[in-house]
Amino acid sequence: MLQQSTAPMRAVMNALQSTPSRQCQRLLSTARNAQHPRRPTPTCSHKSQPLAQRTFKYKTVEEAKSRYRSGPFSWKAGSLFVLTGGGLLWYFEFEKGRMQRQRVADAAKGVGRPKVGGPFELIDQNGKTVTDKDLKGRYSLVYFGFTHCPDICPEELDKMAKMFDLVEAEHKGALVPVFVTCDPARDGPAVLKEYLGEFHQGFVGLTGTYDQVKAMCKAYRVYFSTPTEVKPGQDYLVDHSIYFYLMDPEGDFVEALGRQHSPEQAAKVIVDHVKDWKGVLRIPAATTTTTTV
Amino acid sequence: MGLFDYFSGGGSEEDKRATEIRTGAVAPTRAERQRCWEARDGYFACLDTNNIVDALKDEKAAAKACKGESAVFERDCATQWVTYFKKWRVQDIQKRARLKELEAQGANRLDVNTDFAERK
Repeated sequence: MLQQSTAPMRAVMNALQSTPSRQCQRLLSTARNAQHPRRPTPTCSHKSQPLAQRTFKYKTVEEAKSRYRSGPFSWKAGSLFVLTGGGLLWYFEFEKGRMQRQRVADAAKGVGRPKVGGPFELIDQNGKTVTDKDLKGRYSLVYFGFTHCPDICPEELDKMAKMFDLVEAEHKGALVPVFVTCDPARDGPAVLKEYLGEFHQGFVGLTGTYDQVKAMCKAYRVYFSTPTEVKPGQDYLVDHSIYFYLMDPEGDFVEALGRQHSPEQAAKVIVDHVKDWKGVLRIPAATTTTTTV
Repeated sequence: MGLFDYFSGGGSEEDKRATEIRTGAVAPTRAERQRCWEARDGYFACLDTNNIVDALKDEKAAAKACKGESAVFERDCATQWVTYFKKWRVQDIQKRARLKELEAQGANRLDVNTDFAERK
């Protein structure tokens, strides 16, 4: 075993030993070539030099011979080289990782809040004009849908009602639940009033002209598509995004809540945000949400 | 078929309302939605027992196997909803199959719920 392992080592040593002199030769020859290109030169006196120079350093001839055989390489030098190399490699890798994490953190910091929400003007289920200013001062939970929706909207609205009740239990009046129709052609205030009344009396239903609703959807980055070429009286479904948008009291987007959240989870998220809010909440004395219907 | 029954059945308020729901003139109330969903579940259960996935593509087989359930489904739901639910069923079955396949390959499941109601 020992012999086996030392054999390659010796070969390496030999190779190392022979390289310096060859390099020396090459170095010398190129140097001279530059000066006297036609007279390349022969030797490098490397071999005799160490002995001649260092004889006085060694105490015995054996020591000198062994030093001569291994050249400037020793186990100490080798291990020092490996350790230093390994250390540097580790340090570079470590630094690279740290820089990457820093870059990610800086990127997230720089981007800021997504641009969701903005000014709008619509009418509620009682025919009263509602703008973005009316929603300020409190958190609002905005959901887009339509009354002819087969399955998802009704389920999500039931969920929204549960969420709203849970948030109300902790912070009464801190949240306004808003339903915006994506189908203004069929969902007028009266239709909305009847529809939303079955889910929660506190819901604010918003509708308007097609252009007003379209602007609202665009501001909230909501995708919706009403089929084109619908004849009057013909039934159709509207394709739309199904997220709850949580907006803070200044009208800025906070978070999107989706189908993956249970009402309890979603309510907790909202309550946590309400608790985080450092500003003043403008909660009306007699909560308008309960008196609207 | 259900639709013709209503036209011939004459003009009571209830029939008028049902026709309006089917044509999409009015949005169904919570109770009407519930009735539609029950009719849908009944129809889908029938398709399940007869191993029919796509009721739109295998129209003849579906009509033959689930005549009664289909009539109830079409009576209680808006025509648009009937088509929507039939398409949804195909997608849902495909999705389930795909999920099963992925799970067999050792994929991690994310907790996302798209069911109408809780599955047993």
